[in-house]
Amino acid sequence: MAITVPQERLLTSRTTLRRNNAAEYLFLVPAVLFVGFTVLYPLAYNVVQSFQDVGIAQIVSGQAKYVGLDNYADQFGRPEFWESFGISLVYTGGTVLVTFVAGLALALFFHRDFPGRNVLRALLLLAWVLPTVVSANVWRWLLDGTYGLLNTVLGTEIFWLGAPSTAMIAVVLASAWSFAPFAMILLLAGLQGISGSLYEAARIDGAGAWAQFRRITLPLLKPVSLTTVLLCFISTFKTFDTVFLMTQGGPGGATEVLPVYAYKLAFSFYKFDVAAVATTMLLVVPVVLSVFYFRSLRKEELA
Amino acid sequence: MRRRWPKTVAGVLITFVYLLPVYWMLNTSFKKPADIFATPPQLVPLAPTLRSYADAAFGNPAIAKGLANSAVIAIGTTLVTVLVAVPAAYALARLRLRGVSVVLMLFLVVQMVPAVNLALPMFAIFSDLGLVNSYAGLILANASLAIPLGIVLLRPYFLSVPGEILEAARVDGCSTFTAFVRIAVPISRPGLITLAVISFLGAWGEFVFGLALASDENLQPITVVLAGLTNAFGTRWNDLMAVSAVVALPVIAAFVFLQRYIVAGLTEGATKS
Repeated sequence: MAITVPQERLLTSRTTLRRNNAAEYLFLVPAVLFVGFTVLYPLAYNVVQSFQDVGIAQIVSGQAKYVGLDNYADQFGRPEFWESFGISLVYTGGTVLVTFVAGLALALFFHRDFPGRNVLRALLLLAWVLPTVVSANVWRWLLDGTYGLLNTVLGTEIFWLGAPSTAMIAVVLASAWSFAPFAMILLLAGLQGISGSLYEAARIDGAGAWAQFRRITLPLLKPVSLTTVLLCFISTFKTFDTVFLMTQGGPGGATEVLPVYAYKLAFSFYKFDVAAVATTMLLVVPVVLSVFYFRSLRKEELA
Repeated sequence: MRRRWPKTVAGVLITFVYLLPVYWMLNTSFKKPADIFATPPQLVPLAPTLRSYADAAFGNPAIAKGLANSAVIAIGTTLVTVLVAVPAAYALARLRLRGVSVVLMLFLVVQMVPAVNLALPMFAIFSDLGLVNSYAGLILANASLAIPLGIVLLRPYFLSVPGEILEAARVDGCSTFTAFVRIAVPISRPGLITLAVISFLGAWGEFVFGLALASDENLQPITVVLAGLTNAFGTRWNDLMAVSAVVALPVIAAFVFLQRYIVAGLTEGATKS
């Protein structure tokens, strides 16, 4: 059905459209205000605090002195800070590695077409959405030194959360368990983007499964893999709850990652100023990483 | 066709092994105290009992209060998130101007912000505003990260709404707002459901904000209550697992009913943003 619009109506509708565009800007206002107040303002506040002398008295009075870079000098001069930084890197590196390998293995398996595949994929995500308090409790029980299921299965009697090195393995394991299904979903999306005809051609040329994986899957999955690793790094590097709930940062500070270190400075010792230094560092690392990532992406696009 | 079924069997096995921790939680929650420590461990509770649920999970007033608090906080967060994120996602899908990509980038980057980075300054800011130890404060804190996520997640749905339909509606006399409510929102229903579920579950399981912003036991979400009880329960793993199972229950239920939406939403959000 052809619709003829009278000329004058067309004109008014065009002006309405222009006005409507402005109205669509208004749709953004609540979100911008909200994010401004609950994210940007606290972040700025945090950075300001890192240059001030803030203890519990100043939190109550709301008045704090500026001390320049004193807090930074204080933290950067402390071995505990660097230890915590190193622990964060070990924890994050381990978790990203295990998450990526497990996520890729799951993705490769669940990419194949078989009945029930979609339901099983979704079920796996349960590990990812389970509240951390729940998974932390369950993992503590699984890892129990005397009666834990893991020891029974392995035939060992390891007090996983009692020694520094095994406690690190434990938090990495629990974190990777929650993140891997999410990595799987991202990688599955990547696998779907690889054309099946490439594999067919490779098969005709006599390439085996491993050769196909190395020569086709891995290279073509690279952009999605990089995104997955970056997202996983960012979310692990800032993880507070899994570690805090499983080990409280112990034993003997062995799993005191930067977020836990910062939290303890603030809420156990009321040193909000140096805690702000630690949390600022928590932001700097992922931002630097992302900048490199987006640069490499752009370079690849140009090449 | 015949060769596909072994893969299904293998897939079920992999999924079961992967989710063994969840099974072990449920299994333990139905055991009698003595049976928790049986060697070898009972793979199925031999004398199942609801004792832990009756005594620890539902019979404990602190836990009931925590569950109620979490429900209030999670529902509040969901409402605020949907009300704020949906129009913004729509605007970001419709507007074609340079400023849009900057705003979109902002919302993408905000998702990388660690909750601890917000919890610390929020404690100071909310202290001033009287929002510490209040539902409003906890809802604001939870929505802070859910809104940017929601916008990024929903935008692809609104992008897929054909512009012609919306323009036609306007020519027929719809205002921007009615076109949005009557046409764009219904078409994007799967995305909306995903967003509502994800923000509810996110707030339900949230821990850091609850820990930092609710020292008053009457306002603590169940996650904080449970973390506090963990040591009090000692080796009563059956009780601890029963409470954990109750906390996990809404998540499991939402998943059983809505997994299709959630997976589709995540895939869309992850690949098309």
